[in-house]
Amino acid sequence: MASYLVTILTLVAIISILGLALNLQWGLCGMVNFGLTGFFALGAYTAAIVGLSGAGTFAATLAAVVVCSLSCGLVALVSLRLSEDYLAILTLGFGEVVRLVVLNEEWLTHGSLGLPGIPRPFWGLVSEDKYEYLFLGLLAVVILILFIALEMLLRSPFGRAIRAVREDDVVAATLGKNVLMLRVKVFALGGAIIGIAGSFHAFYMTYIDPSQFQMIVTAYVFMAVIAGGRGSNSGLLLGSVLLMAAIEGTRYLKDIFNVFDATQLSAIRLILIGLGLILLLIFRPQGCLGEYRLQIKGRESKPRDIAVQTKTRAT
Amino acid sequence: MIAQYVLNGFVSGMILALPAIGLTLVYGILKFPNFAFGAMMTAGAYIALILNVNFGLSLLWSAALAAVIFAMIAVVIDQTVFRQLRDRDSITLLVCSMGVSFVLENIARFIFGNAARSFDLVIARPKYILGLKVNNEQIITAIIALAAMAAVYFILRHTALGRAMRAVADNPALAAVRGVRRENIICWTWVIAGSLTAIAGVLAGMDRAIDPMLGWNYIVSTFAAAILGGLGNPVGAVIGALAVGIVEETSTLIIPPNYRQAMSFLVIALLLLMRPQGLLGVATIKK
Repeated sequence: MASYLVTILTLVAIISILGLALNLQWGLCGMVNFGLTGFFALGAYTAAIVGLSGAGTFAATLAAVVVCSLSCGLVALVSLRLSEDYLAILTLGFGEVVRLVVLNEEWLTHGSLGLPGIPRPFWGLVSEDKYEYLFLGLLAVVILILFIALEMLLRSPFGRAIRAVREDDVVAATLGKNVLMLRVKVFALGGAIIGIAGSFHAFYMTYIDPSQFQMIVTAYVFMAVIAGGRGSNSGLLLGSVLLMAAIEGTRYLKDIFNVFDATQLSAIRLILIGLGLILLLIFRPQGCLGEYRLQIKGRESKPRDIAVQTKTRAT
Repeated sequence: MIAQYVLNGFVSGMILALPAIGLTLVYGILKFPNFAFGAMMTAGAYIALILNVNFGLSLLWSAALAAVIFAMIAVVIDQTVFRQLRDRDSITLLVCSMGVSFVLENIARFIFGNAARSFDLVIARPKYILGLKVNNEQIITAIIALAAMAAVYFILRHTALGRAMRAVADNPALAAVRGVRRENIICWTWVIAGSLTAIAGVLAGMDRAIDPMLGWNYIVSTFAAAILGGLGNPVGAVIGALAVGIVEETSTLIIPPNYRQAMSFLVIALLLLMRPQGLLGVATIKK
């Protein structure tokens, strides 16, 4: 039971890191990343390939961070002058290209066979049965650092500038902000975080193949961000725990519906996840926890959120 | 040799054109890129599969009936899901259409499983016209796609509904002042988009096997086609689709065939860099 719990928590942690990245890109700067799975796969494969070459896990993580960050930055650069919709399509296309490369460049990625035997960080430091705990601890430290850094960024002038870009890029530009550079920076920074998530995924699984990187991962991360409250990092952490509870909970469906086969059960779970996403968007788009806002004492703050126009939101 | 590739690309471009028109019409009226059209194609293909294999209807009748049935399903999806989100921003709708896409795709997976299926179709010997090999399926595809496109063109250009649709796409407030009911127009837009997408699903299922991921193979290419023609422009979508189809097919002369969809991505990226309003689009000042 304890090891099951540790496994779940590790998955929650990896989803949370991806969520922190999406929350930065989409939640704070309004840039939709529909190719999240593709960037995630890019990070995982980069880390795996560098790790397998014997360069060490730190170098592997670093390589994943650099590659993801650069590719995210480039994609954002292409989307200059464009509305959010185009960025969504562009990132989706990029994700698809990553998938094609992973499937077809067998000399590099072994195609659908996948890459086995990926080295793990701090392997051999503790006994093998205790390693899972160490890994989870490592992830917790990474999340803590990222969380604090992102919260600081959120409250910094840079954080205010990117939220201004999200709300109205024309106004932000009029106020002398370089909107394009801000967007590229935010997207690249988000890419770096996705790279971290990808490399930890590769280390944890020790074996990666294309079937682990499907569109559903993007849906999971969007759900975690929306459930927690778009723009709120602490909400996101809550959101990913809730999401994992829901995903893992539906595994027990098989005890109730024992007439269905494995494919049908996984289909039911994905239907429920799709419905969950739709219902969440319709009934609770603001999520559990709201976004951080600068409060002025003695004045009622009036949230005027263009992106999430909620009629129900209490002011 | 190249002519053969151009011909094949032309026919696969025709399959792309139908969902691209649907995508672009929905974008014009509702202002969001509907990600769910891939799963809608898959659903259309499966409905036709039931009619074709289980009820023994000919493929043509199956396609026509599937279009009607799926048009109704599309309206139901709009009324239950998208209608609740009318005043939200386009990204909320986009994320929501991802949810719709998972539901549709997995209903198909639940009923039919992951195994690939195919239509009950008489296999005919390919014909040779002017030295070019033309499959029977390609002829059927071209006829059905052209008929569907002609019907949509007629509706958009020469009926009151088409005028109203163009009016709402152009300026919803002005259209409302002139007494055009937006909800009705939205409903009819889904009828047209739904039936076109379902027909495309049938054609795609004829071209390759039917499995729950069928529509997924067309997503990037269709977006490329719609963007190439300028989102919101149906004629542009058709031209964009033919261009994407031909580029993808002829590119296999140089690059491995597996990377056809990557070509579409390249087309989108280059186009957005150089001409973000689409080839046929007119540069507008965004408010």
